[in-house]
This record gives sequence, C-alpha cells and structure tokens, in this order.
Amino acid sequence: MRLTRRQFTIGTLIAAGTAGMPLYVKAQGKKTIAVLFDGLYSPFWVAGLDVIKQDLTKRGYEMVQAISDKDDNRQFEQVRAMLARKVDGIIIVQTDSNAVIPAIKAANEAKVPMVHFNRPPAKTEAFSVAVVADNRKITNATVEHMVEVARKQGGKFKAAILIGNLGDPNAIGRRDGFFDVVDKNKDIIDVVARIPTEWNADVAFAGLTNAFQANPDINFLFTSSDFLFPQIVQAMKVRNKFHTIGHKDHVIFGGFDGDAMAYELLKDKYLDADGVQDLFKEAELAVNAIVDLQEGKTVDRVLLDPGFAIHQANLEQVRDRMWGYTIYKQKNG
Amino acid sequence: MSGLPMAGTRSTGPRRLLRHLLFSEYLVLYLSVAYFAAVVPFVPQMASAEVMRNILSDMLPLLMVAIGQTFVLIVAGIDLSVTSIIAMASVVGASVMTGDGGYLADSALAVPGAMLAMVAVGLAIGAFNGFCVTRLGMPPFIVTLTTMMFFSGAAIWFTTFHTETSSIANLPQGFVALGQGNMGGVPNALWVVAAVGIAAHLVLARTALGRRLYACGQNRNAAAVAGVPVARVVAAAFLISGACAAVASILYTGRLQTGTPILGQTILLDIIGAVVIGGTSLFGGKGKVLWTVFGVLFLVLLDTSLKMLGMSLFSVFAIKGAVILLAAVIDAVRTRFAARL
Repeated sequence: MRLTRRQFTIGTLIAAGTAGMPLYVKAQGKKTIAVLFDGLYSPFWVAGLDVIKQDLTKRGYEMVQAISDKDDNRQFEQVRAMLARKVDGIIIVQTDSNAVIPAIKAANEAKVPMVHFNRPPAKTEAFSVAVVADNRKITNATVEHMVEVARKQGGKFKAAILIGNLGDPNAIGRRDGFFDVVDKNKDIIDVVARIPTEWNADVAFAGLTNAFQANPDINFLFTSSDFLFPQIVQAMKVRNKFHTIGHKDHVIFGGFDGDAMAYELLKDKYLDADGVQDLFKEAELAVNAIVDLQEGKTVDRVLLDPGFAIHQANLEQVRDRMWGYTIYKQKNG
Repeated sequence: MSGLPMAGTRSTGPRRLLRHLLFSEYLVLYLSVAYFAAVVPFVPQMASAEVMRNILSDMLPLLMVAIGQTFVLIVAGIDLSVTSIIAMASVVGASVMTGDGGYLADSALAVPGAMLAMVAVGLAIGAFNGFCVTRLGMPPFIVTLTTMMFFSGAAIWFTTFHTETSSIANLPQGFVALGQGNMGGVPNALWVVAAVGIAAHLVLARTALGRRLYACGQNRNAAAVAGVPVARVVAAAFLISGACAAVASILYTGRLQTGTPILGQTILLDIIGAVVIGGTSLFGGKGKVLWTVFGVLFLVLLDTSLKMLGMSLFSVFAIKGAVILLAAVIDAVRTRFAARL
C-alpha cells in the first residue's frame, strides 16, 4: 500500500480540520502557573478558581487550568502534561489525598513547586505545601454556637450530620469538629443520623430524606459543606421543617464554607451559624507560597487559614470577611 | 473478515484517496501522524522525549482494558462493567497487600497474592456477565450496565471495611514498580501490555477461538449452524474482557500507589471510544488488536495535546465526543459501503 505526497498532504489537512484545531498562542516571557482542580461542583471551588486567577493575573502570571472531574489518574496525567509544558508552579486540588502522592513526586523530580489549595495530601516524604482551613476549629466554633442556641431554647435535640467524602481530610476535620462539641453535650443532643454524602448532592438528598423518614423529630442539623444547602432545604421543605428562627418547628441549622446561599439563609434567619473559610486569604497564601518556593525561600508544609464562625449575633460585624457575602453583593448590588 | 475490500471501480484523484483512506486499516494511524504533525507547531513540547514517554505510559493501562473490550465488540456485544472491574479489583488487591493491615501485609506473598486476587475479581465478574448473556439470554448492555452499577457501589462499600478514608494506601514497593518502574529504560507496564497484546492478537488471528469469535459477531445463527459453540465463545469474550480490565487495574493502581474505589470511573467513553476509533465495528464481526492500538494512540494523542493546550475539561469532552462520534459514523459508512462492494 503506497501513499503519495499529495495524498498525505490532503490527509493531514483533513485530519487537522476534523480535529477542530484550537489556536494556541503562548504568552512570551510570562511565568506560567498551572491550576488543577478536581471539579467545580460547588460555589466554593468556582469562587476559589476565580480568586486565584485574579490574584495571578494581578501579579503578572499566566494561568493555565485543567479540571480532572474527580479522576485521580487523569489528574496525574494532567500534572505530567503541565510539567512537560514547563510550568513554573502548580496549584492543585486533588480528589484523593493518597492518590496525589505520585504527582507530588513527579513535581519534586521536575523541581516545580506544588501547592495544595484547601485540601492537604496524605503523609508523605515528598515535599509540597498545603493551604488549609482549620476545619476542626472552625466547626467547633460553629457547632458551639448551635449548642448555645439549643441550650437557650431548652429541651432535648435529635441531631443529624451530613458528612463529606472521608478521603478528603477536610471532611474528616469537619466531622471530628462536630463530634468534639456534641459529645460534650450528650445531655441534650443525641446524634441519630450520620449521613455520608461523598460530596455528592444527590447522595446527600437521598440520605437526608431517609434520615427524616427514620427520625421525623430531627431538630438539629449540620452540613459539612454549604454546597448541599439546595438539597437540604428541599428535603426540609418536603418534611415541613424549613422555618425561620423563632418558629416552634425551626431546626437548629448549621453549615460550613461561607458561600452566598449561606449568607442569604443567615440574613433570612433560616440558618443559625456557618463556618467560614477565608477564601481570599487562602488564595493569597497559595500564590505567595508558589512565589516564595520559586525564589528558593523556605515555606512551611502547612499554611493555616484560621477561618471563623458567622452567626446571627455577629452577622453584621464579620460578613465583609465572608466570601459568599462578596458574591451576594456583586449579584444583588 | 478483518480487513475491508478495496473498491474495484475505476476512479481518480480525491475520490480514490478518500476510498483509500476510508477503507485502509491504517486510517487511524495516518490520522494520528497527521494530527501530531498539525499540533506540534502549536505545542512544540509534544515532540519532546518527555511527552512521548508520557503518551506511551498513558496509553498502556487504557490499551490493556481496550484489548478486552475489542473481544467483546467483535462478538457484537459491549462490556460497560470494565470500569467497575477496575475499581473493584483495585480495592480488593490493595486490601490484600497494604502495609496498613492488609490480609497478606509484609508477607512475601503479598504482591503475587494481591495480583491473583485482582485477576480473580476480573474473571469472576466477566464470567458472571458471560453467564447472564449466554445462559439467561439477557442483552449485554443491560447485564454489564447493572454489574457496573453494582460493583461500583460494592467497591466503595468494600473500602469502608479496610480504611477510615476513601482509599487504601501504603502498597508494597514491588507492586508500585509495576505501574511506574522501568526495566532497561522500558516501562515495566509495557512488557505486560505487549505480552497480553501479542497473545490477544495471536488468539484472534491464528486460533480456532479467534475465527469463532468473528463468526459469532458476523452472524450468530449461521455460526451455530456451522457448529460453533456460540454460548461458550461469547462467554469467553466477556471472560477475557474481565481479565484484561483486572490487569489494567493492576497498572492503574500501581501507578497511583493507591487502591481507590473510584478508579477508572470516568474512562468508559475513552475505552469504548478508542476501540471504535481504531475501527472495530460496533456491529460485530470486525476488529483487530492492532486497530485498537491505533485507536488508543489517537485518543491519548488528542487528550495529551488538549491537556498541553490547557483546554477546559468541557472542551476536552466535547472534542473527544465529536471525534468518537465521527469514528462511529465512519464505521457505519464503511459497513454500508462494504456491503455494496
């Protein structure tokens, strides 16, 4: 079988046209940072990506992004592709804290700094920096406020917690933070439902619906992430449990993240308290860490965002530090 | 059976080229070369040794599972459960060998024991699929869709018995080396995939089983009349697919140094797409291991270039989807033209 040069040329053109070749122009002279997220499935990650992008642009970096859609192998391949592209640093949000370790090792070998944004890796001898919220402490503060409300209200409470994917240390920190507090208050709080969500809204909705069916008297509810609010509100409405603070059937309600819906629920008095991650600070810490590592400076392995709890008593005072309020303001003026 | 006849009618120029390209079994290889040539000016790093190595190592586990899928497509079936086999085998194998309380932790048998367990998982699920399709007469699509759902869930459930987190880590170095290590500059995984690939090629091209697989794919009734044990042959295809998915799981798990129940969850389109792009027919009776190699090469090449360009995942999905759709259309057109010739 022989192929003439003419045939080959036409074949090449057909192939290039078919593939819908995207144009690519590399900015010359700019340092490039790869930002690799595992998904944009909650407002926190969408806002996080946006804030990082703005920060990098402000500092004169070019950003190249990739999403792995919760596929550890794909993310590993993305890291290698970025290393081959000779990026100057990688900011990553991995799905699994263990499965990211080969990617850290690959970055170490290529001498490219890697920073984990908001999700630390498992223990490893490979070096990377993780910017994390103090999930346990922030949850402690949030749930303590919820318990305070419960004590003021009086009576006994049946509690439920929506737990995240336990491959994510953040989810573990939030779960432990919740139990630190409720275990000290067993005299009034009985945890009747531990609902695994795998960070999946559908799973959360089904789990909470089942929990309400099994325990119709649940009146104390904490979610490990605000992105589950739409499903939680829906499940509560169906069971006639969605009422404002002060109503006799109000469920003492808390969340974690500090997104725009959390602010709205707080403002409208449906939500009692919310743990807030300081997204702006975390993005700044992540970019600073990349810059410092590039300059050969020493950076701690873990950079902590202390975060804070926002609730009805301090809403007006601290809302300006809540990233969800910033988004709310942008949308609503 | 494997190649398609060339048109015998006289024509010139572009029509002859089109016919030549359309019916050539090297069509996808040509496209790969052309695509590579077209993309290199935009992403010069694509031509670097590092990226070439990445492309090769990215191809290997995908090729492994795609070879198994080729067998199933040849008998006009489909195996959607391969991703759950990858996940299930991954966590079962990891639970056997993990240093964090694995069944054979710190034993010399840990790695071989784990690998045997992984292959056993693949064979068991493959055998179950084959039994349902051949003995119970259920459509492969439904059988493998439901086994995919069941074992995807079972893998997560199984993991909860072995770890507080969602994955099983601390795997022995000997196992990790299989997914990541090199021998004489050649990736260890390449030896495994090459051995399986050559064996698969020989089975299809040189054995009675191979001829029977094609016969079953072309016309099951005619094959049965000709004395082919159709049920056993179709069941064998599912068994091979399960085993290949399990070996792919060994490579993926070694690569990530972690047994994870979501491993391979999102690559079903890549697996079937690669086989179809290669030219194996969705209608059965036509396919080759070499074509699957070309299909995997093209898909990984496309994927790598899009990653290097920093395209969003949604663009990657859209472009890959379009390419796979185009491959399916070409398959339909080739089948239609072949019937006329």
